[in-house]
Order: sequence, then C-alpha cells, then structure tokens
Amino acid sequence: MRTPLTGALAAGLLIAGAVCVSVLRAQVPAPASTTIPKRPAPRTPWGDPDLQGIWSSDEEAGVPFERPLGQTKAKVNGTELEALLEEREHQRADNAATIGGVTGAGPVHWYEIWGRQSARTSLVVDPADGRVPRLIPEAEQRQQRRTRPMGSFSAGPFERPDDFSLYDRCITRGLPAMMFPAIYNNNTRIVQAPGYVAVTYEMIHETRVIPLDGRPFASGRIRGYLGDARARWDDGALVIETRHFSDKTNYRGAGAGLRLVERFRRSHRGLRYEVTVEDPHTFTRSWTAALNLTPGIALFEYACHEGNYAMRNMLSAARAAEAGGRAVK
Amino acid sequence: MRSRLFGVVAGAAFAVAAAAVPVMAHHSFAAEFDAKKPVKLRGTVTKMEWINPHSWIHIDVKTPDGKVEQWMVEGGAPNALLRRGWNKNSLLPGTEILVEGFQAKDGAMRANGRDITFPDGKKLFVGSSGTGAPDERPDK
Repeated sequence: MRTPLTGALAAGLLIAGAVCVSVLRAQVPAPASTTIPKRPAPRTPWGDPDLQGIWSSDEEAGVPFERPLGQTKAKVNGTELEALLEEREHQRADNAATIGGVTGAGPVHWYEIWGRQSARTSLVVDPADGRVPRLIPEAEQRQQRRTRPMGSFSAGPFERPDDFSLYDRCITRGLPAMMFPAIYNNNTRIVQAPGYVAVTYEMIHETRVIPLDGRPFASGRIRGYLGDARARWDDGALVIETRHFSDKTNYRGAGAGLRLVERFRRSHRGLRYEVTVEDPHTFTRSWTAALNLTPGIALFEYACHEGNYAMRNMLSAARAAEAGGRAVK
Repeated sequence: MRSRLFGVVAGAAFAVAAAAVPVMAHHSFAAEFDAKKPVKLRGTVTKMEWINPHSWIHIDVKTPDGKVEQWMVEGGAPNALLRRGWNKNSLLPGTEILVEGFQAKDGAMRANGRDITFPDGKKLFVGSSGTGAPDERPDK
C-alpha cells in the first residue's frame, strides 16, 4: 500500500530527476538534423552490392506456402498472431504424428523448424490471395498422368532409380523449391566475384555459378536440372533469370517451360528473396513467393549421393515385397 | 492468457515428444523400413558412418545362441545431428547401447533407429529417415 510519505518521496524524486535531465540536456549540443543518416548498403571492393554470406530461411519455417482458405490477412499480430502460432504448432504435431506414427525419433525441441515466430500467413505474395494460381487444363491432365509425383513418398512401384524423385536421388530439391525451408539444412551461401555470383544450397549442396556480364542465354537445346541462369543488378537487388529447365524437372506441374525471375536484396534483418514463377503452359498466370532470410551460422557439407544407401535399400524393399516379403540379397 | 497459451503449446510439445515423432527426412521411411517390425538391439558399436543423407551406426549384436549379428542402424542426417549437439565422440566404437527402431522391409539386418539407450539409462535420440510430412516434400 502506498503511504503519504512514500508518495511524497516519489514525487520529490521525480522532480529531482526532471531537473537533472533538463540540466544534462542543456549541456549536450542539439543535433543539426533530426533525420538519421541511412547506413549505406555494403559493397564489394569492385563496387557491386555485397550480398555475400550464409543466409537461413529457418525463421520462415511453418509459414504455409499458400494462405489457408478463410485467412484474409497477409500478416497478423497481437492475439491473432499468438493464436496463429499455436495453431501451427498443433498442425505440425498432428501432421507428424499422423504421417510418421511411432517410427521417428527425438523431442520436438530438436527440430530446426520448431517454434518459429513469423507472422506471415503465406509465402505466396502475389496474387493477393496468397495462393498459387490454378493450372491450365492441359497441365492438370499432365499432372494426373504423373505416376510417382512424390518419389519415395509415393506408393511405388519402384523398379529402377528413375522411379524416385530427384530429391531421393540426391540430385536436387529443384528450383525454386530448394530456397524454401525444409525440415533441416535451410541455409544458402552467396559468394560474389567480378562478373559472377555463386549460390550454394546446403540441401543438396548444389552450387549455381551465374554470369553477371550480360552474356546471352545458351541455346534452348541445352537443358539442365537447374536450368540456365543469367544475373544482373537492379537498384541494389540481384536479379537472376533462369530458363531452359530439363523436362525431367517438375515444379508444381511446370517443367521445360518454366521461367523464374529471382530477386535478392538487403533488408533490415538480412535478405529479402522473391521469386516470380512463369509458365503459360502450366499456370493461368504468373505468381510470386517471398522469403525473409536471416544470417545463418554455418553451411555444412551435404555430400548426399555418396552415402545414399537408401536408394539401394528402397529398391531392395520393393523386390522383397514382390517376392512376398522374403529377404532379397 | 499467455500462461494458458504456453500450457497448451507445452502440452502439445510434450505429446509430440512422447509420441516420438519422426524428425528428419530425405526419403520416405515407409519405402525402406517396416513400421510393423519394431526391433530392440542390444550390442556394441563397431563404427559410425557420418555420411549423408543419413548417418549409419554399425553394431555387433549377440544373439541368445551366442552368434554375433552385424546390424546397421540408420540415424539422422549428420548436419542435423551436429546442430543438435552430437559430435564424433558421441558414439565411439566399443560403446554398449540398446537401439530401438524398425527393421528394413527386405528383412536384412538393417534398422531405422529411433532411440539409443546407454547402460546408465541415458538416452540419445537418433533421428529417423523421414515422415512424408508436408514441410519435407520437395514440391514446396
């Protein structure tokens, strides 16, 4: 309980404090301007914007790629955010328990993606509803003809290595999927040199070495899992355009006709990444997804193919199933 | 409000931990291992392979009739294990362990590891081969 004596003492201290502050203020020269000078963006010794470093997408883990139906806001705060984060953790727990059952391991605090606090409601930022546009009818039919769209997560049959996904086979998670957070290894390293930029993805340790010198794209007869990329600078942002993907790739139904325009630029907490996805033979319109990347700690080796015993073991499991469960050597 | 929220989340976290939810995925668990074949292997570590996409622990297991079986146990991805505090000394050759996991579908002496228990009762989580959870899928 506050007594008259403590009240008077508090009032006295307040007055004394105010006097002291005003005296101190009087001794400090007033600033010439009230505007805070903008910190210049870092530059490389040869003058390009400097985006180098290890960047993590962990902070965006848990944000759904597409905005859930019924959610109208791109970002939430306050109690709405608390409820959203709670719901996400429940969903994650439910998903893992439903799909994985008793087969897994480890407490949830091990998860690199557990407890993330992003207030965003979708990674898709355009269209405004946060959802990937519909496929055109031709692309929908194409997707339905895919026999094992999820690789080892499909029901099979698995008869040869090609029946597994490029991810199962340690080739690539594919562009632009490799940028978005998975359950671990969500780190990207950017290294720059005059005329080039190299982007390395921890999962599955692919490195794209991309020219910045304005050279034209290679012939469209040359196709790659990661396509053919050219980069340029645009007002401090690194813009990478990629075309000529192999028809063995499949990103949400798009393959050889996929064209990506990625943008990396400095943001207040790290880097902002945006990718615009175009394929008129697949999507009814182009669309854009975005990530906020924060400084990562380290990029570890992920030499995946060399120790990928799973390929042999999964094929062996499939042969055992054919043989009625008998061991197959 | 906050304490209730914390309680709910903490409760969910505990429930998940108690259910031993799968953690790490590069490929599907179900394509390689049989969830209906749980195994408990008591043996001695002979080697740990720190390889990607998953680590492998080799153990010698003595059977009741005195034979020695050489089992391979799949663990989590090395990077994920390192980030969670494992190091090269966590499981040295000669260490006696009890592995709980699930046997390979082809019947070989291979298993997916879930938990490792040391003779003093301490546990080491191994990490599983994967779940198929949406966040792990390549099409994101």
